[in-house]
Amino acid sequence: MDKHTTEENIMPQQGLTRRDFIKTSTGVALAAGTGLSLFGQAPAFAQARELHILEWSSFVKPADVETDRQAAEFGKQEGIKVRVEHINANDLNARATAAVESGAGPDLIRLLSNGPHLYAKGLIDHGELIQEVGGEDIYPALRDAVHVDGVYRGVPYFSGGGAYVYRRDIFDEAGAAAPQTWDDFMTVGTKVKELGYPIGQSLGHSFGDPPGFCYTFLWSFGGSLTDENGKVSIDSQATRDSIAYLKEFWVKACDEGGLAWDDTSNNRAFLGGTISCTLNGASIYFIPKRNWTEKKDPFVWTLFHFLSPEGRAGRFHTFTGQNSCIMTYSKVQSAAKNYIRFIHKDENFEKFFVINNGYVKGVVPKWDKHPLWSWDPALTPYRDLANYGKHYGYPGPYDRHASEAWSKYILVDLYARAAKGESADSVIKWAESELKNIYG
Amino acid sequence: METRVGETYFKRLIVFYIPLFMFLVAMLFPFYWMLITSIKPDAELYNVRSVPFIVKEPTLEHWTYLFKETLFGRWALNTFWIATATTCLSLFCGVLAAYSLSRLRFFGSTTIGVSIFVTYLVPPTLLFIPLADVVARLKLIDSPWALILTYPTILVPFSTWLLMGYFKTIPKELEECARIDGASRLQAMVRIILPLAAPGILSAGIFSFTLSWNEFLYALVFLSSPVQKTIPVGVVSELIKGDVFFWGSLMAGALFGSVPVAVVYSFFVEYYVSGITGAVKG
Repeated sequence: MDKHTTEENIMPQQGLTRRDFIKTSTGVALAAGTGLSLFGQAPAFAQARELHILEWSSFVKPADVETDRQAAEFGKQEGIKVRVEHINANDLNARATAAVESGAGPDLIRLLSNGPHLYAKGLIDHGELIQEVGGEDIYPALRDAVHVDGVYRGVPYFSGGGAYVYRRDIFDEAGAAAPQTWDDFMTVGTKVKELGYPIGQSLGHSFGDPPGFCYTFLWSFGGSLTDENGKVSIDSQATRDSIAYLKEFWVKACDEGGLAWDDTSNNRAFLGGTISCTLNGASIYFIPKRNWTEKKDPFVWTLFHFLSPEGRAGRFHTFTGQNSCIMTYSKVQSAAKNYIRFIHKDENFEKFFVINNGYVKGVVPKWDKHPLWSWDPALTPYRDLANYGKHYGYPGPYDRHASEAWSKYILVDLYARAAKGESADSVIKWAESELKNIYG
Repeated sequence: METRVGETYFKRLIVFYIPLFMFLVAMLFPFYWMLITSIKPDAELYNVRSVPFIVKEPTLEHWTYLFKETLFGRWALNTFWIATATTCLSLFCGVLAAYSLSRLRFFGSTTIGVSIFVTYLVPPTLLFIPLADVVARLKLIDSPWALILTYPTILVPFSTWLLMGYFKTIPKELEECARIDGASRLQAMVRIILPLAAPGILSAGIFSFTLSWNEFLYALVFLSSPVQKTIPVGVVSELIKGDVFFWGSLMAGALFGSVPVAVVYSFFVEYYVSGITGAVKG
């Protein structure tokens, strides 16, 4: 105890009087009470039985409405309150991380892509449900996404992917048809760019379109990030050839501002009329179809889609799903399992499938035969995505390493740096080093 | 225009009014952009060939959507309550901690002061995982109390650090006079030091309020019901769907979400400036 403190102790103490204390504590209690009454709850210790589902907020708004409706219907049948929370897709990982680490939160999370590999320790075994939903019939790319070390950590609910949306009026003016090969695409792209409507391709850090383009582009040239065993294989002649093509394609055919684009930028550019073609989910098409269907604006009727061009190794699409994953900490696991069974019943899934109007595909091939695919010819190419669909780990395993490589945008950056002028050797060397850090 | 001796109108224009005008444009442009985007119809928003700084056919459809189709009013109320409660709590703790560390000499006070500052440097993106565990154990998930109790982990260190510096600028003699006149330590603090430190306390309060108002990550992770959400999380959840951004309503949400903070600033701006830059002269 130093001198100063000693002095403090021997000073006459005139602290709070009893009256002051009562005044203060009453004030604090009143303030706290006001807050409590305003918000109706302090910590909620006892709550009714509830199934809490967390999923993305779909750009097909009626799809969210249908999901909520089915959840309510299931809740009535099961005798449980069902709450569906829709959030921005980019925020799902933060919520899932917090839920798994803290052991509290939603009972069922609709994880994107191969999310089950990242959060496996917090997810129950879904093996029984997988068999009921389709078993071996489920597309392999989707099955791999939930199959972690021999255990199914989720059930694919639906799948989606991107196709190239294009303006037929501009293509007609250029005297071009939808390209079938990358060579065709170079020719078509050069013509439409000369008309002032280039191809728009995002090469920024955004989870959908940039990787969707880069991976399929590399695969179609015969390249890959790793081989079948997960050994890094980016340094190949195929990668070099793809880079050479991209450098030329970028200058001759593309909007060169795409280096800074994210997933929304190409939507805005396309709908703003500055580009004539871009790889995208069906969201670009749905906006004019929903909002501008009046006869006075025929823009929507000029829009069509085509599949990814074919390269020397074939045609490829990225094909990922959204997976229903039940958490190990959930106290209503049985109800959650029944909910998954409920939404996969043909009559229920069909309503969800139809209301998505072509954006959503089933997880088994039988949904490719649905008459929906002939209702709107502009969307028919989406039907065939699964035939060319691969996951982001292809041809290697779709594990957490693949996810890390994807989330670090290594391949996207490889092409972006090349488009900016860096040499093939330099970008490949950089990417190889990054990939080896991940895959070991 | 008032000019000083030896100062020409031209010089004043160059060194004062033009920079001031440029500064004002830079500061107010985001508000202007939010406003015009929120009142543009979709057809104009997506027409990149039109002049972006003017609106040809203003509409309130995005405002209507924001207030009628989302729970924006409720989110605003939640945000206000959480920010206010958090600010009060953080200031209370910050004032006591800063006073102790700047006025009382005890073993380890310097180390504690430095530790508090270092704590402030830990990014929330690292803290949210262990905090999620704590919040879950306290059964506070999806309750505003989850945020009211976790925001101070960021705010108390900053408030303490800021106020420590401010308290050190207040002459000890003032407090010692009060003590000689018979005031207790607490009375001297409450009646002498705190009134003098009002600008500093207000600065810390405004900082805390603003940070709580805008905070995203904890609010995203700890709250799940639509009725419990705050403005930053609610707006993003409801108005970003996949790769489709509802720009008009998003900007309306951003505009109305930033107004209260701007109002708070405008009331206390002089205190805030003196709190950040000035000190009590002895």
